[in-house]
This record gives sequence, structure tokens and C-alpha cells, in this order.
Amino acid sequence: MTAKASLSDRPIASSRSKSPTWWLLFKRDLSELWIGGRALALLLIYTILLGILTYVLASNSELSLIPPKEMVYETLKVAIAVSLVISLIIGADSLSGERERATMEGLLLTPTSRRQIVVGKFLAAVSPWPATLAVTIPYLSVLSQGDEVFRQAVLWGALLGSVLAPAYTAVGMLVSYWCNSNKTSLFVSLGIYVLFLIPAQLPGRAQTGAMGQLLQKVNPMAATTHFLSKTLVNNRTLGEFWSWLISPVVFALLAYGMLFLFAAPGLRLEAGRASRIGKVLSRWVGLSVIACVIAALASAPALATSFQAPISQGAEQPLQISIDMASKVVKAGDNIDFHTVVTNAGSEDAPPLIVAMNIINLDAAGDVVDPEDWSPQRTQYIEHLGSGQSTTLSWRVNAILDGDYMVYMVLIPAPDGQQATSQPVASSGIHLTVTPFTRLNPGGVLPYAIGGPVVVLLAVLLLFRLRRRGIDMGGSK
Amino acid sequence: MVQSHNPDPSSSPSEILRAHDLRKSYGPRPALRGLSFSLDRGRILGFLGPNGAGKTTSIRILTTILEPDAGHFIVDGVASDDPQAIRSRIGVLPESLGFPRHMTGIEFLTFFGQLYGRTARQARTYGMALLEEVGLEQRAKSLIGTYSRGMRQRLGIARALVNDPAVVFLDEPTLGLDPRGQQELLALVRRVAQERNAGVVLCSHLLAEVEGICDDVVILSLGQVVASGPVSEVIGQAQQSALQQNAVRIQLPSPLVPKAQGLLEKIPEVVNSTPTGAVAGWLRVELVDSIDGTSSKAQHINNRILQALIRAKIPILGFEAEGGRLQDVFLNLTGEAIE
Repeated sequence: MTAKASLSDRPIASSRSKSPTWWLLFKRDLSELWIGGRALALLLIYTILLGILTYVLASNSELSLIPPKEMVYETLKVAIAVSLVISLIIGADSLSGERERATMEGLLLTPTSRRQIVVGKFLAAVSPWPATLAVTIPYLSVLSQGDEVFRQAVLWGALLGSVLAPAYTAVGMLVSYWCNSNKTSLFVSLGIYVLFLIPAQLPGRAQTGAMGQLLQKVNPMAATTHFLSKTLVNNRTLGEFWSWLISPVVFALLAYGMLFLFAAPGLRLEAGRASRIGKVLSRWVGLSVIACVIAALASAPALATSFQAPISQGAEQPLQISIDMASKVVKAGDNIDFHTVVTNAGSEDAPPLIVAMNIINLDAAGDVVDPEDWSPQRTQYIEHLGSGQSTTLSWRVNAILDGDYMVYMVLIPAPDGQQATSQPVASSGIHLTVTPFTRLNPGGVLPYAIGGPVVVLLAVLLLFRLRRRGIDMGGSK
Repeated sequence: MVQSHNPDPSSSPSEILRAHDLRKSYGPRPALRGLSFSLDRGRILGFLGPNGAGKTTSIRILTTILEPDAGHFIVDGVASDDPQAIRSRIGVLPESLGFPRHMTGIEFLTFFGQLYGRTARQARTYGMALLEEVGLEQRAKSLIGTYSRGMRQRLGIARALVNDPAVVFLDEPTLGLDPRGQQELLALVRRVAQERNAGVVLCSHLLAEVEGICDDVVILSLGQVVASGPVSEVIGQAQQSALQQNAVRIQLPSPLVPKAQGLLEKIPEVVNSTPTGAVAGWLRVELVDSIDGTSSKAQHINNRILQALIRAKIPILGFEAEGGRLQDVFLNLTGEAIE
């Protein structure tokens, strides 16, 4: 400790930097994220998940059950959902993490503007999104099997992901801004994620009702998923569904505005803003988020049941439905054809009738299987059935998954009016046993499923190796 | 009690920091109740106080991390209403400064140098010079995660000097260091003040070390300044009142303490003698309270005590009048025990 830094090299009369400070912060955080290994670890986990998902989807595709469009859509949906979690986690760590690691004070002591600190950190926190997209593209390519859906998926995935992932990063950073500890920040951020996720997980009827539609439309995540589903799977046009893009864009603008205009200038060592109003506001926001998550969790089953038509004991219908099969053992992927006979044994003409197919999974404590996935027709309509008449309906079921199932029909007479109800009639069931059908390397996807994680792992090792060059790895003296 | 030192409104040319009536409350609890002091270039100011006295709050206000509720301060001619300009003139080693484990020492300093407006090349060159100054040039390219605590503290000081500051704030820089590390670090602090002609504000619990290297001292208790001024003056003022307690402390070989106690209690002016402190061998000897600490009678009694011990061939390892150390002043004014 003898030499002394040259004072002739006196710095900094002003706070102006040769490089913009947001750029310096961005580079430092980027290096910490990627060379520190956090982002790479998350990317590696993501790649493994994607590999598993692709293999499973391709297995089903091999059985000709899921068309390429749907596989690409499902993969893209998962890719965006996981990217949002990654964005949220990294955003949630950005400011509270600096506080927890006691590195925030060092930054705040420099003549850098608070907003530039936040901008630099935000840009670095967004960086995993392009990486996850880049990792996803080969999987989409192999699953699309040459279908033009691939180009659409990459285009829409890149656009919508680029709107949502930075927005979720901003939300994570906002939460982090109001938290002193990473634990709290992560807990609240994941709570917000669940809050957005729940409407997308509501049962089918709950999603398609007026309230359900509204919930879907205002929820940026659900709206994005819906938009992708319609454009990629159902060949619908942007003109028809552009309104579903409003909520993601508005959500993103709100998140950016809150972060850069409101929160960033007031960044400080302790959580939140200095003003008393800010403290009260943040407390209320925190409590509201927790209350919303609890309410949403509590209301989901209730909401689902509220959309189910109440079955009251109305007048008995002299209607009968029979089925021409009692049981069958098939392999996954086989088609099962059967018939039902609907008979009007009454003395009067029957009202219009709906025959609906139901499939119950007997292996998993009676889970309902969505017949839409299993059959091209889940309901059939009988306009008229006179007294003493019968009609035969043909059905086909594609056994997608192995397991033990009960297939049965429900005959629903149309009620007379808004205040009236009717009595559904159930048929006997077909006990369907589906045995597994497996094949190694379905659709040639196995190299990608295994190769993806291996490539990312090699990239991790290469980065560490490059980093070690020029660094003295000696211990402390 | 020593009166608070109120700086003269007309500052001297060498004055680099002046604080006037700084106040801060956390909710209903006042953390700082009117802090005023000044610091000249090239001088080291010891900032003392028991836990919760308001030291860290003061440092955070003076380094623009916190805003005061009232009062103002001036750093190198820049008033506290321009915090960004102040930040470019100060260097700070906070009490718990975190370091990025995946950066090397030189990368860390280069990064901060750039934040203060240097080009990458300038920042790297200056960073290397600073690492040399703090004795870390051999570990410039080592990851900070591999540094010992002492090395990290020295790197923290280098980081505080990266903008060539006019005032350097060091909050507990010796915390957790071994005695050798403490000595090296305090020597470095002394050099920073002398060679860079910077004002240094040093927060520390190591009162003996503060006494050794500080030129001035501010003692805080419950958010108030209870003593301030040059170290020798503060000790001198306190000594006047402290000597009314009429006690001396003598350090002896531990096995001989009971024998010494027996001898000393035969002297008529000695009220009692008791082993004291956490360190074995120290004996506190209380004298009759009618003695004026500065009189020749007091010196006579001190001599009688020493003679009694010498005649009994008891080696005297240390002898001091109570109240003659900064620690005594501190204890006296703050009523707190320092371990």
C-alpha cells in the first residue's frame, strides 16, 4: 500500500458520462444475469421443459391425433407462459435483490439519475425473452412439419411475446421497487402471475359466457392465448380478432408508464417512494393483490359451477336413449364407432333434443375428459321426434390417451321457455379401456428434445470457460 | 457536558463540509435532533455514538441517500439542494456495502469510474492506480467473491476514491477486521486525508483507533451532538469533570492483582480498588472525592500509589487517570458501555 493514484487524472467535473449510464448498468446486469448463471439456469430448465413437451406432443401427433397447427400453438403458448414467468422472476429480483445484496447504496451514491438505473436494469432483465424465443423456434419448426403455421407462429409469437415479456418484467420490477426482500417480491410477483393465469384456466363454459369472455378479453395473458389460438389453429384473420390485442398493449403501456414515469425517479435505498401517500398506496396495492389472488382462487370453482345450468326436477320426459356397445379395449390412437338410439315413447311429440357425449376418466378419480379433444362431434341435435318414433345417431371417438374411461350420452330436451326447465336422460355407458401406444423418436423430434438442453448446457460451460480466461482464480490471502 | 460545536457561519477557505441543524425523524421517533459541525480539508473527523445514536442516519443524509426533514449542508461549496452535484464530490464506504461476486476488482472499479464520467480506458487506468494505492494490485483480476473481508474493505475504499472526492465518508471501515487489518486500514485512511487533502468522516466503534488518527470528533447520543471539536479539546474538557470522580486505572500482571489490592487499600486516600474491564489485570482505584484532579495533592497521591507498588516489586504495565481517554469521554457522555 505505497503507491498512490495520480491526481493529475482528476475526473469528473460534471456527472456527464462518456457512455450513457443506462448502457453501463445494462452491460453490468446483463453480465451478472448471464455469466452469473441465473438466466442461463432458467433457460436450461425451460429448454428441458420444452423438450419434454415437444416429445409428448409429437408422440400424440404420431398417432395422428393432434394436427401440426395445434402442436405449434400449444408449444408457443407454453413458451410465452414460461417466458413471462422468467421475466417476472428476473424483474422481481432486480431492485429488491440489489437492496438485499447491499449493492443498491453504491449505485445510488453515484451521480447517475435514478431513471437511468431503472432503464439499464430493465433492459437487462428483458434479455432472457429473445433467448427463449430463439430456443423455441427450432422446436416450432420441427413440430410444424413444413406447415405454413410455423412462419405465423414465429411472427405472432415474437410480436406478442415482445409486448408481454417486457411488460411482465416491468411488473416484476414494480413489485421489486416496493419490496425490501426478494422473498416478498417473488411471492407477490408470482401471486400476480397466478391472478392473470386463473381466468385462462376456467372451465370451458365459464370461459365462453359473457362474463367469461370479458375476463378473457381484459386479461392480457388470456387474450393473447385466445388470439394465438384463433389465428394459428382456426385460420382466423387479424381483422376479426384485433380487439383481443388491446389488453396486452394497454397492460404493457400501463406497466411501462408506472415503472419509468412514476416509480423510477423516486428509486431509493428503502422500498417504495418517500412520500407518505406512496407508503399508504403501496400498502393498499399489496393488500389488494393478495385479496384478489385469494378471491380469484376461491371464486374459480364457484364461477365454474355458476355457469352450469341448474338441473331442477321438472316434469318427467318419456324419452329413452340406448347405446349399442357396452365395453371395448383399444390402443391409444384407435377409433371407436358406435350408435345411439333415441326413442320417444310418449304420447306427444318431443321438443327439440340435444344429445351430448360425456367421457369420464375412471383412472383419475373421475376427471372429466373434454370430448372436443376426443371426438369431432361432441353433441348432435334432433329437431323433431314424434310420438313413438326413434332415431339412430352415429358417433366416433378417437382414443387419445391410454387409461380407463366411461363414455355415455345425455339426452337433453329443450325447455319450453326461459322460466322452464327439462329433465335430461342418461344412456348406459361404454367402458373404454385404452392401452398405451408408444414409439421412440416420434416425428423425428427426439434429437431436438435432447439436443436443445445439451446445446444450452454447452453454451453455459463455454461462457464459464471464456469468463475464466483472464481471471485470476486464486483464493483470498 | 461538553457543548455542541456550532460552526461559524463564515466558513474558512479550507472548510470542505459544513452541516447546519440537520434533523430527521422516522415517524414519531426523532433520529437526528439538530446536527451541526464543520470539517476542513485534510482532516479526519471521528463520528461516534452508541447504537441508535443517529450516526448512519447522519451519514446517509450527508451522502444524499436520505433527505433531512430540516437543516442543510454544504459539500465543497455545493449546497444540499443539489444532491447530484454533491454525489460527484463525495466518496462513500457504507457500513454494509455489497459487492458483485462475479466481477473482478478492476472491473468493479472500472464500472464505477465510468459511472462518474470517465471513458472505459481512463476508468481502468485509474482503477489500477487505486488498487495499487490500497494494496490490491496483485488481486486486480481476481473475482471479488474470492476476496477476504479485509480486501473487500480496501476495495470499498478504492471505490470511494474513484471520483477523487473532496470528502470521504467511511462507515465502520474496520468492522470485522483482525487487529493487523484494522491498523493497515486506518493507516490507509490517514494517507487518504493527508496525500489527497480530502476531508474524511470516519464512523467507528474503535475508540482507541479513532483517538489515534482523528483530528476532530463529533459524539452523538440519541440524535443529539453531546460533544464536538478537536479530539484533544473534547478529551480535555471532559477530563475536567471526569477527574472529579477521582479514580485511576492501573494495569498489572493478573496474578499480582490481589496483592496490589491489599497494598493500595492501606493508603488513606484510597476508598477501594476493584478489578475492572473485560481485560484481566486492570485495577480501578477509587480515591477520596475531595481531591481536585489537577492539584499537586492529586499528583502526590498518584505518586504514593506508584511507590507502594514499586516497593512491593509489582510491575506496573499501565497507569492512567480515569477520564483521560476518548473512551471515558464517550462513556461519560453517552452513558453506554463499549465492549
